Amino acid sequence: MKAPPRQTGTSSISTLLRGELEIIVACTERWNGRRTALHVGVIVLGAGLYGAAMGWWRDPQQALFTAIKFPLIILLTTAGNALLNAMFAPLLGLNIPFRRSFAAILMSFTIAAAILGAFSPVMAFMIWNAPSISPETIQGATYSLVKLANVAVIAFAGTTGNVRLFQLLVRLGGSKAVAFRVLVAWLAGNLFLGSQLSWILRPFIGSPNLPVEFYRATAIHGNFYENVFQTLQQIFND
Amino acid sequence: MNETNPVPPQIPPQIPPIVAAGDARQLGSDPAERAVIPNVVVAIESILRHPRRVMFQLRQPDAGKLIAMMLLVSVVCSLIYGVVVGTFSGGQQLWIAPVKIAAGLMISALICLPSLYIFTCLSGSQARLVEVCGLLAGLLMLMTILLIGFAPVAWIFSQSTESLAWMGTLHLVFWFIATIFGLRFLETGFSHSNARSHAGFHTWVIIFLLVAVQMTTALRPILGTSDTVLPTEKQFFGTHWADCLKATDNELKSRVRE
Repeated sequence: MKAPPRQTGTSSISTLLRGELEIIVACTERWNGRRTALHVGVIVLGAGLYGAAMGWWRDPQQALFTAIKFPLIILLTTAGNALLNAMFAPLLGLNIPFRRSFAAILMSFTIAAAILGAFSPVMAFMIWNAPSISPETIQGATYSLVKLANVAVIAFAGTTGNVRLFQLLVRLGGSKAVAFRVLVAWLAGNLFLGSQLSWILRPFIGSPNLPVEFYRATAIHGNFYENVFQTLQQIFND
Repeated sequence: MNETNPVPPQIPPQIPPIVAAGDARQLGSDPAERAVIPNVVVAIESILRHPRRVMFQLRQPDAGKLIAMMLLVSVVCSLIYGVVVGTFSGGQQLWIAPVKIAAGLMISALICLPSLYIFTCLSGSQARLVEVCGLLAGLLMLMTILLIGFAPVAWIFSQSTESLAWMGTLHLVFWFIATIFGLRFLETGFSHSNARSHAGFHTWVIIFLLVAVQMTTALRPILGTSDTVLPTEKQFFGTHWADCLKATDNELKSRVRE
């Protein structure tokens, strides 16, 4: 396969967003330190800007903390599951080496982070217009609206990243069934680890009743799934 | 030797690009479209009568000059319309309203530009960032030129009514009509850049309209007067409009009682 064309930073990200598979497949063929650094840079910048917009509602310091934590979760999830994802791929029928599976997952997160970064001005504008966070606003429609908007944007970014990843896997493996199996396995692993990392590194928006902290004192006491289980127990016991 | 028939890789079918109905010619096919736009007057005339010429010139290497001209026209036209808006209350609003309208429009466009570029790329469009900036500048220019067209009508109503709600609604209607034409220009430019789908563009339109409308509330008052240039209380536009309608209703009721 011929080497991918030389691209500037912006055109490289545009190529990912457009889903130009010929170029993307060629990019995953060889390890390229500069391209990897660009993708990590986009994740840090895009997810960081969005995180800052999220956290700004509570406090400027919370904005800084969330700007650091949001990209950290993405990068730690990618790195933490790298070996597992690389092993899942051939076991499920997609015979690609470690660097290709790592590059593919990093690219999907880069797409999601680019979308988040692009929406960060809109989110920041929304937060700027919202009444200050307080015990009263948390009960009201404003908090629900902000939460819903965040869910919508993050869901859109994540879905788009995974759609492009699926298209890439189909091209690499030549089979939609294999690509689907691998994508589901990768998603399950990333969601499992990502949820726990998010639990440890909470809060992201913050609560007006609690102080602004990088992470809570109870961060490593219990885990996300224990909390979900306890919540379900409470619901069914009441 | 038996020939093997390798299974071809599954390549998804290519969806053809969407082109505006009735205008499937490639940009630049008409020699008139290839003529450079030298000044502001030609730019205004071109966007009204030969929009394809503007779209073609935005793809050329020196599109920056044309974009700067379009932004300058947008700022000047929005300042002029702002003066008309300010004549309703008079006094300090004669300079505050134009500044708020011009600044609000530019800031709204700046907020929405990154998401426009993202949606452009996701749709498969080959438009570069400069071209997307240019199409957005074209939207602003066309919108504000049309507002100038509405200015005499707006001024006459400003001088003949004291109802804030009525004038606010009228200005919003004029702005909405002008924006529709601006968005039509943007969508046509979008179509000519090999976009495979308009779903993303339509989503962006909703975001742009919401941001622009919220900006009018964030920068209030634009029509009325206040002790402070900017509001001290933060509100979403729905709440603000409901409050204005309630205030107008109370005023009408008290007049009827008198």
